Amino acid sequence: MNYMPGTASLIQDIDKKHLVLLRDGRTLIGYLRSIDQFANLVLHQTVERIHVGKKYGDIPRGIFVVRGENVVLLGEIDLEKESDTPLQQVSIEEILEEQRVEQQAKQESEKLKVQALKERGLCIPRADTLDEY
Amino acid sequence: DDDWQEAHERLAELEDKPVASREQDGPSTEDLDLLGDPEDTLAERLTRLVIDSELEDPAIMQAVQTRGPTQQPGGLNSSIWDSSAVLRRMRGPLLTQEMPSVSVLDYALPQRPPQPRDDERDPSERALPRRSSSPVIGSPPVRAVPIGTPPKQAAVPSFNQQILCPKPVHIRATLQQRYPAPYGERMSPNQLCNVPNSSLLGHPFPHSVSPVLTHLQRAQLLGGAQAGRMSPSQFARVSGLVGSPIPSVNPKLLQGRVGQMMPPASGFRAFFGAPPAPPPSQLQHPPGPGSHLQSLRPQPQMFRPDTTHLHPQHRRLLHQRQQQSRSQHRSLNGSIGDRGGHRSSHQEQMRKDPYANLMLQREKDWVSKIQMMQLQSTDPYLDDYYYQNYFQKLEKLSAAEEVHGDGPKKERTKLITPQVAKLEHTYKPVQFEGSLGKLTVSSVNNPRKMIDAVVTSRSEDDETKEKQVRDKRRQTLVTIEKTYSLLLDVEDYERRYLLSLEGERPALMGERKQKICDMYDNLRGKAPGQDRPSDDHFMQIMCIRKGKRLVARILPFLSPEQAADVLMATARNLPFLIKKDAQDEVLPCLLRPFSHVLYHLPLGTVTSLVQQLTNLPQSAPAPTNLHLTAVLQNKFGLSLLYLVLSRGEELQSSDTNTELMQDNQWTELMLMATRELLRIPQAALAKPVSTPSNLLSLFSRYVDQQKLNLLETKL
Repeated sequence: MNYMPGTASLIQDIDKKHLVLLRDGRTLIGYLRSIDQFANLVLHQTVERIHVGKKYGDIPRGIFVVRGENVVLLGEIDLEKESDTPLQQVSIEEILEEQRVEQQAKQESEKLKVQALKERGLCIPRADTLDEY
Repeated sequence: DDDWQEAHERLAELEDKPVASREQDGPSTEDLDLLGDPEDTLAERLTRLVIDSELEDPAIMQAVQTRGPTQQPGGLNSSIWDSSAVLRRMRGPLLTQEMPSVSVLDYALPQRPPQPRDDERDPSERALPRRSSSPVIGSPPVRAVPIGTPPKQAAVPSFNQQILCPKPVHIRATLQQRYPAPYGERMSPNQLCNVPNSSLLGHPFPHSVSPVLTHLQRAQLLGGAQAGRMSPSQFARVSGLVGSPIPSVNPKLLQGRVGQMMPPASGFRAFFGAPPAPPPSQLQHPPGPGSHLQSLRPQPQMFRPDTTHLHPQHRRLLHQRQQQSRSQHRSLNGSIGDRGGHRSSHQEQMRKDPYANLMLQREKDWVSKIQMMQLQSTDPYLDDYYYQNYFQKLEKLSAAEEVHGDGPKKERTKLITPQVAKLEHTYKPVQFEGSLGKLTVSSVNNPRKMIDAVVTSRSEDDETKEKQVRDKRRQTLVTIEKTYSLLLDVEDYERRYLLSLEGERPALMGERKQKICDMYDNLRGKAPGQDRPSDDHFMQIMCIRKGKRLVARILPFLSPEQAADVLMATARNLPFLIKKDAQDEVLPCLLRPFSHVLYHLPLGTVTSLVQQLTNLPQSAPAPTNLHLTAVLQNKFGLSLLYLVLSRGEELQSSDTNTELMQDNQWTELMLMATRELLRIPQAALAKPVSTPSNLLSLFSRYVDQQKLNLLETKL
């Protein structure tokens, strides 16, 4: 029952399992319980999922209230297809370790890049105010 | 402080009550037992609802006790009359107090075990503080319910107010009171689509303007919403009524009743009238029962002129959904009777997901309402031009489809963006009597001047040449923008014309003419004398890409003389323009409007045009005709030349009584032109956009066969 045809509304999505991508790069999965006109979300039984390569780990977080402006995108999860993933679930410690390693590698390559540019007299300003993702 | 919690729970229970009463599923016997149980409790509850004697009602007794002693008449003589008087007084609270139905049921409901809920349900804290209660000095009083507040109670629609209004005369009238049509007499919007057509025969605008019923027009013909009383007849089929002939529009349709859902505003204000509607007896095809849900066409209705209130159409949509969901629940109730392991989706939901429906239906509706409110605007064509056009296109498509197809007509709900009347706020800052001076308040409606910005114009002396050039270019850009605004207005006049009242039309036409004159002045530059000595201004505009497009769009609106003038100026300076256009290559966009202009030009003008284009005869004898060469080597130039030549040929061949003078001039010109054409090598010739067919016949008059063949190969 579509309230307004041709528009997007979250009302149809209530009480369904969603995957929400936030502006700081986090991925939350939870049941969408409530919304408001700013698309602030109330997520229930939320799990923060960290992806590194082909592995992922879930951190249970409980209830999330997300301010609407911080959401990049969100989508309903098909419960039947949810388990049908090539990704491998690992423990939290493992995935956090993997993430740390990945971050480190990224930082090092970034440092090298900046160094190389500096040697050539170029400087790319870092856009700190933009979203990290 | 658990009141709000309880209240919320009670409201939730209220909505879930019919469904929640059947908690489990199972074999039939159990179900029967379950049926028995809820029914019994229901019966109990019902009996508790109806309290025969006031003296049994605990609530009343409480109330009476608090007030009783003060109300005892006399006191000494207690008789049956006294008691009845007391009774009467006790009855008072019941009668005078308008107890919303909710609260009565609340008393009747048994205490449900509180559902395990982790999250806080706090509707009152979620709401923003009501603006009306906060100290507001310097802002106009808020009459409407602030948008940030969800309704605390279930909105009990009280649609008892019926305001019949005088027949509205026209759409864009000044703020007159107009009201929407009553339910039974509404016409389908499709019927109304034909109205503008009929009433606007012989209007000055070309018929390219589609007779699409504007939202406004539809608005008056379909009335305000009374959410509780929706009848299928008010919704028309999208499909069914296209092309039905409507002679006139009935004024009665425009009377209406408006329901008030919100606390009353200060009164209804501007509405828009419509051309009179056909009498209700001419209503065609009462739409089928099931269709009303789907066939909600864009019918913005007359309604509160405030953008903070929901358009009745949308409101109706909302309540429809509510009713639908309620009826779904009720049907689910009944379905539990028939057996077979039949599980209701709701039961399943309750079983697997005990946290479901934390967001109540009315909260969903509230969000939905806000979203709908955001679609309202005071001028959809201004705020949302592209969607309006897109929507009209869609409608035309579907109308066309329905005309052709004979199958069952598809009905689709469409999203409407209704037009709201502008609410005029005359705001006066708060003043106290007997005080000297005014309060110094600054609010969003009444801002205080913070910065004293002074415009200082630069002196002309110390400007460099570059700056001057830049400024001149900037001025040209500004001129182009101003002229563009005028152009958009002029293009919009057709639509406004269709919407306007008869009396207003001359004024509109006058405005339009004035704007067209202004545009032309802008284009050519305000000439000091009669003659326009310099094309400079025009050339500046034509050097800019947007300027060229602007000229192309303006040309249809100009008078023949003005348009010819523009053409001449272009032709005269064509090599310069060609050089400037090398990068943009926008000149070809002018071809089409130029060709239209050419159709209206007399031979004399055409001759002089050719003269300008080819620069023949040359003022000073030169070995090469640079002007003509440049023209011929450019796509636009060559195409324009061909067009002009072909027009000349048309005129010559068709009109036998051309003046001798002109004829001579033309002939001479043609001779020279052909000579030049022959001289130029073929490789140098550009590829024209189109080669008119009569060129050969043109040339055949002036050259012999040999040369003609040569020319033919070149073309």
